[in-house]
Amino acid sequence: MRFGFMVGILGGFLLAHAGYATIQYRGMLKIVEEEFSCPPMNVVIGLLLGLALCIWAALASPAKFKSIHPDSEENRVVSLPANLDFMIFNHRGKVFPSNAEFKLKK
Amino acid sequence: MVGAEEAARLDRLEIQVENGGGGAWEYLCLVRKLKPRRSDKVLKHGLAILNDPKARSNLGGEEWTLYEQVAFAAFDCQQHNVAKVFSLSLPLPLHMCDCVAVLSKEFPGSLRVGRLEGMLLEAENSWAEAEKVYARLLEDNPLDQIIYKRKVAIAKAQGDLKVAVDFLNKYLEIFMSDHDAWRELAEIYVSLQMYKQAAFCYEELLLSQPTVSLYHLAYAEANESQCIEYSGFIILLFLRFLLTAFIEQVLYTMGGLENLLTAKKYYASTITLSGGKNTRALYGICLCSAAISQLTKGRSKEEKESSDLPSLAAEALLRDYKYRAPKKLPLLNSMLKNMKLSS
Repeated sequence: MRFGFMVGILGGFLLAHAGYATIQYRGMLKIVEEEFSCPPMNVVIGLLLGLALCIWAALASPAKFKSIHPDSEENRVVSLPANLDFMIFNHRGKVFPSNAEFKLKK
Repeated sequence: MVGAEEAARLDRLEIQVENGGGGAWEYLCLVRKLKPRRSDKVLKHGLAILNDPKARSNLGGEEWTLYEQVAFAAFDCQQHNVAKVFSLSLPLPLHMCDCVAVLSKEFPGSLRVGRLEGMLLEAENSWAEAEKVYARLLEDNPLDQIIYKRKVAIAKAQGDLKVAVDFLNKYLEIFMSDHDAWRELAEIYVSLQMYKQAAFCYEELLLSQPTVSLYHLAYAEANESQCIEYSGFIILLFLRFLLTAFIEQVLYTMGGLENLLTAKKYYASTITLSGGKNTRALYGICLCSAAISQLTKGRSKEEKESSDLPSLAAEALLRDYKYRAPKKLPLLNSMLKNMKLSS
């Protein structure tokens, strides 16, 4: 996970560097008075590389993704919660001997 | 809805806590979240935490929630002495007469503590006094859902299912989206054998929560029971009107057949939603197919649709039993053979 994190930071840094390089390139074009059509080739390569690294880091570095299928092995509904709002106490549990240990102490 | 993974985690924690490993607080939190009815374990471990002053002070503000949870568990386990002390929300053992006085001192006028008081009276079977307490609370808080539900529970505990159904219907007219109440109403209708009304309640549940496989299963079972009701009706009619019964018999058999087809459809959707692991739904498909083929025996052969569904369901059942309960496999084999022979 640490490695994924580092890769993510590297990818972000590459993107920031590409942005800065593009701004500098535009500044230079303003001096030379040419039109800005697209950033230079190396900046584009840096952009794509940064994109790939960031995507990889985003998918790899967090913990294991949880399943979203309702019928997957972890998610399938096994039982419904007992309706505790309607719970009645009038059941046969009364005949169980009451445990004298169950006392609240000071 | 309790997923498979959460249920497994609950069981593991329970075994761990029972055998003396730590994690009692985590277990109690999980029980509070998933709401299974494990009152004896909650009482035992909750009391263990509360009787230990160090553990109690570690909880901080959560202490009162734990008191409430253990109080419910004490009501369920009929430990009235514990429950009385808990309704005080104070860590002191007190005599019965001082209960109400200290309660009003600690959390004066609190609705939650008032409800606990009412439930304590319910647990001691003093229904009239419990109703008085709830009526008093309802005056101040006319829109409290839990008090209405406790009134239904009182009616249910006294065995007055019709009164309980009336109360629930009135409650559901106001609070239409409460799916716990719809579920409770459906279960009461099933116990009163009013399957059509039960099917209606399950339809409401299916509308609001279509991905819960257990509602599909319950709806299918209500439909299947409705068909059996119709079949009984057929026999009755035949005995009473010998000639005209023929026409009516066909109509009611149609009614029964439709219900069986619906039931089969919903058993199938249960299997889809639960990843094929719901044994009851697999059985349901086998039984429905056998009943349908018996009902359509007299009809023309064109109407019969052949599908692999019952044989696949039988196969899945056999595999499941071989894996989980191999000793019961011969029973299953003989039952499946009977169904294939008779259909």
